[in-house]
Amino acid sequence: MRVALEINGDDYARDVEPDLTLLSFLRDVLGLTGTKWGCLTGDCGACTVLVDGKPVVSCLQLACQAQGREVTTVEGLETPGGLDEVQAAFVSNGATQCGFCTPGMVMSVEALLRTNPSPNEAEIREALAGNLCRCTGYSKIVDAVLQAAAERRSAVGSPAADVS
Amino acid sequence: MADVFIPGSLEEAVDFLADHPTTAMPIAGGTDLLVDARTGRSRPERLVDLSGLRGIEGFELDGELLRVGALTRIRSIELDAELGRRATALVEAARVLGSVQIRTMATVGGNLCHGTPSAEMPPSLLVHDAVAEITGKGGQYSVPLAAFFVAPGRTVLAPGDLLTSVRARVPSSAAGSCYLRQTVRWSMDLAGVGVAASVHVEGGAVSNARVALCAVAPVPMVVTGAENAVMGTSLAPDALAEAGRRAAEACSPISDARGTAEYRRQVVSVLVPRALRIAWLRATGSWPEGSPAPVNGVWTRE
Ligand SMILES: Cc1cc2nc3c(=O)[nH]c(=O)nc-3n(C[C@@H](O)[C@@H](O)[C@H](O)COP(=O)(O)OP(=O)(O)OC[C@H]3O[C@@H](n4cnc5c(N)ncnc54)[C@H](O)[C@@H]3O)c2cc1C
Ligand code: FES
Ligand code: FES
Repeated sequence: MRVALEINGDDYARDVEPDLTLLSFLRDVLGLTGTKWGCLTGDCGACTVLVDGKPVVSCLQLACQAQGREVTTVEGLETPGGLDEVQAAFVSNGATQCGFCTPGMVMSVEALLRTNPSPNEAEIREALAGNLCRCTGYSKIVDAVLQAAAERRSAVGSPAADVS
Repeated sequence: MADVFIPGSLEEAVDFLADHPTTAMPIAGGTDLLVDARTGRSRPERLVDLSGLRGIEGFELDGELLRVGALTRIRSIELDAELGRRATALVEAARVLGSVQIRTMATVGGNLCHGTPSAEMPPSLLVHDAVAEITGKGGQYSVPLAAFFVAPGRTVLAPGDLLTSVRARVPSSAAGSCYLRQTVRWSMDLAGVGVAASVHVEGGAVSNARVALCAVAPVPMVVTGAENAVMGTSLAPDALAEAGRRAAEACSPISDARGTAEYRRQVVSVLVPRALRIAWLRATGSWPEGSPAPVNGVWTRE
């Protein structure tokens, strides 16, 4: 089956098995291995990507169901200046240990901040309920999200943001 | 390995399913179906992808009639402010289902058609006298949602039938509803007990009440006895306790990882009064508008 979609701003079209998951399409067909392969049953969130700006677990979506849509993966977040605010805040807050959950976490945070630029701790924890981390104990992750949100708000408020 | 058919219309989907009655299955959000396929619980040879079909996605409120398309995503119910006021129990059930990712993908139709005993959507629809609207090879027909569920994993749908929407009656004033559940973990857990209640209040007394449960019987159930216990009352403690007792008697839970049958019955007897009480507070304007109930009816954190 021919699957054509946009990933991180680039168009891709490939002939694939009809029941291939979006996760396998990204990792095995396109080599975009930032998106992680975890439980494959929707529980861990390591495979989270955005489809038309909304977070989904790519292990439970067929690639053909994303036909014609815009997909954003962790590879699409980097800006010309380096890591984006969320990624940078994960690094500077020690919100990453083994790192396996991080790409999925970061994508869920991106989705949260698009709709809620100033989340409180409860809202952050609710938004990340579907992203399991076995290392950090979550509090560093919450700190990172609070910092990323504050930085993004001040960047939007500053004249420098108008350059784009 | 399954083949995938992408129909251009509802009719094409129905025709394809009718032509392949034993091998084809519809797929909507895939959050039940692909887990079943992964864990070997089902092996569909052909999938009919409903996710791109127009016309059965989204909901509309027309006076007291609420119609929810089968393809409506749980997340869009969760985020709707008007539904939050008018069909509060439905929104509360949507809020606790899975994670943001799962709610973004999962559909109302899939939640009903999978027939999981603990599925979150049925109780909150049952308390609004919901009716399932179905399209099959022979045309369209309707079934009261209370008669839709047959056994765990089984509904009245015949091979080739598609659920297209659910219609429900949501009163526009003097009414309130609530959904509560008991879980082992605070999030990302299935209900050990789920309770929805709705009440209509006239002249300071309950003029209509509905109580429905999930996860405590082979199929979601309406508890008429509990409803009768509070009809005409102003929900005094003894009436509430009697409603809880009758609901606990009427259900038939099993013992599993989420609790023993005895414990579940006990929880039913506690959650039914709490849900009725919160529904009453909402109906009488004494509950802060837009404020969801804590998942099990009491504030225990923060
Ligand atoms: C990690 C995780 C957590 C979850 N947590 C909860 C929870 O807390 N509470 C809860 O209730 N559920 C929970 N679920 C299950 C929930 O996601 C599903 O029940 C969901 O609502 C099913 O909808 P879907 O669109 O994904 O269905 P699908 O998986 O696409 O389909 C489910 C079944 O319904 C059939 N079907 C779908 N649409 C139709 C239709 N229109 N007509 C006829 N048949 C149809 C399919 O053939 C299939 O048999 C969870 C799932 C996961 C993976
Ligand atoms: S790999 Fe998709 S949720 Fe775990
Ligand atoms: S950093 Fe190891 S799982 Fe989260």
